[in-house]
Amino acid sequence: MTTVNAALRLTGISKHYGYIRALEDVDFHVNPGEVVALLGDNGAGKSTLLKVMSGAHQASSGDVAINGQAVTRYNPHIASELGVEMVYQDLALIDTLDISTNLQLGKEPLLPFPLNLLGLVDFRKMHGITESQLDRLGVRTAPADRPVEMLSGGQRQVTAISRAAVRLFERGAGTILMDEPTAALGYEQTRMVEGLIRRMADQGFAIVLVTHNLPLCFNVSDRIAVLNRGRKVADVARAGTDHNQVVAWITGAESAIA
Amino acid sequence: MSQATLKAGAPIGGAVEGNGAKRQLPLDVAILVFLRDRGIIVLWVLLLFVFSIWNHPYFATLNNAMLIVSAASMTAIFAAAVATGLFSGALDLSLPGVAALSACVVGVLLKQFGIPIPLALVAGLGVGLLCGLVNGIIVLKGLNPLIVTIGTLSVTSGLAALVVGGYAISGIFELEFMGSARYFGIPSQAYIVAAVYLALTIFLTRTRHGIRMRAVGGNSEAVRRAGLSDQRYRILGFIISAMLASLGGIMSMALVYEASPNASPSILFTALTAVFLAGVSLAGGRGSLPRVLIGALVLATISDALTIAGVQPYWATVTTGVLMIGALVFDKSMTEAISNRLVQVSRVSTHERVGK
Repeated sequence: MTTVNAALRLTGISKHYGYIRALEDVDFHVNPGEVVALLGDNGAGKSTLLKVMSGAHQASSGDVAINGQAVTRYNPHIASELGVEMVYQDLALIDTLDISTNLQLGKEPLLPFPLNLLGLVDFRKMHGITESQLDRLGVRTAPADRPVEMLSGGQRQVTAISRAAVRLFERGAGTILMDEPTAALGYEQTRMVEGLIRRMADQGFAIVLVTHNLPLCFNVSDRIAVLNRGRKVADVARAGTDHNQVVAWITGAESAIA
Repeated sequence: MSQATLKAGAPIGGAVEGNGAKRQLPLDVAILVFLRDRGIIVLWVLLLFVFSIWNHPYFATLNNAMLIVSAASMTAIFAAAVATGLFSGALDLSLPGVAALSACVVGVLLKQFGIPIPLALVAGLGVGLLCGLVNGIIVLKGLNPLIVTIGTLSVTSGLAALVVGGYAISGIFELEFMGSARYFGIPSQAYIVAAVYLALTIFLTRTRHGIRMRAVGGNSEAVRRAGLSDQRYRILGFIISAMLASLGGIMSMALVYEASPNASPSILFTALTAVFLAGVSLAGGRGSLPRVLIGALVLATISDALTIAGVQPYWATVTTGVLMIGALVFDKSMTEAISNRLVQVSRVSTHERVGK
């Protein structure tokens, strides 16, 4: 595993807030095509680690490497340029605009000359691009020109995740970080999101999933990493563990790493 | 946005994801959406109909129609200014001050310096551009737009008084072509309003910068995460808004032949009424400009009809207020009805949040 270049690799990450040690010497990596679930109790450091991965927080010490290249001065902008996209819990969708505009914001296709000089958007083309991108992800829940405010919670979540994937399509690979992607969803909608996550991994994207939801974690992940009080206590293939074992790691009753 | 809501795209593949959501909007949802988005037009047509009968034969005449158009023009320009600000996410209260300052600058340039009319007009709009830029830059420092623009309202109306030396400049007949003049029987101001609304509507709904500006008003975080500068679009909103206020100030000066340094807040509140009547959200990013125009026409129609009927003019004010609150209640209940229907249709779980 370590011989392949990981899509995203963190080595010896520590993060201190004053006297508080949120993360202590954590190693973490995710490979292309792999779904890694990052588990832990509240305050275990999951969100902090995710923010270090997205560049929102600078680690106090430790290294970040993307596709085998060490990155200095890491921040969200550089992360995005290097193909690391984050799906936030608040989704950050624009309710009043349609799915298509939400997905293509910043890359809107223009009408042909001379109308492009006025900045007129080619909506037909934009909807077409969106439909084909969503087809590629196997997402067929609502037409591209439906406003986001008319979508259900599951459809919104799928739209937000698709947006992250769509931004990575051009480079053909990348890492998608997700913070509790099913927190507000019911059973069927969770299944819908699980399907999408699996399909994105099958297309070669590396996916990190922070969650409290153990069924979700067992349904989609290839590997499970567990944090406890800022330290990594387990990092195992999903096939090599079970529910009770993971709960024991989360609560701190056991540790897989000496 | 309303356009997109009504025509659901071609169904491909059906509900593959298995939550039973239909790709086509069900008919009853489409009707509710139509009522929410086009309700104000229905209301206006209804008012015209009722007033035509009530005030027969004085209301439904061409002359009276022109009076209504003329009266609606000033409200419409300021309503466009307020609405553009709200689309980009900010309520600009300095608009009356900017209008007064621009009018006074144009008045002084024309009367005391004898500057050619086109140059004076450009200078007047330039004042608006500058005011918008200053408002925008200050607000981007992280200050509340309401409070900042109350401050600049005070500054601009003070400057307006300084420019004209405290007294109104009267006898400005140079701008009659955009004041009381009529072309083909239609007030000149109606042409300006039509051009402004057409251009601005195309900008807001069809161009990438207009769409991004509304996106900033809807959710600036989404725009930032798309790698775009939300700040540019915020400033753009303030600039367009202030330039429209300048235009409004110059137009009202042209109408009364006088440049007055008194910023009148009443025009702002009338404009706000038209804007909220049209369902534009104070939270930003939501609403449609053509509906704002109808909102201005509704207000003008009511006050015109009640005047003809010999009702005390205070009743027009009362009716307007009641209508606006009614419009808010209507909009809210429609939005709730739509999301309730959509929840039923897609059979989503109960702890689901649909819409806001």
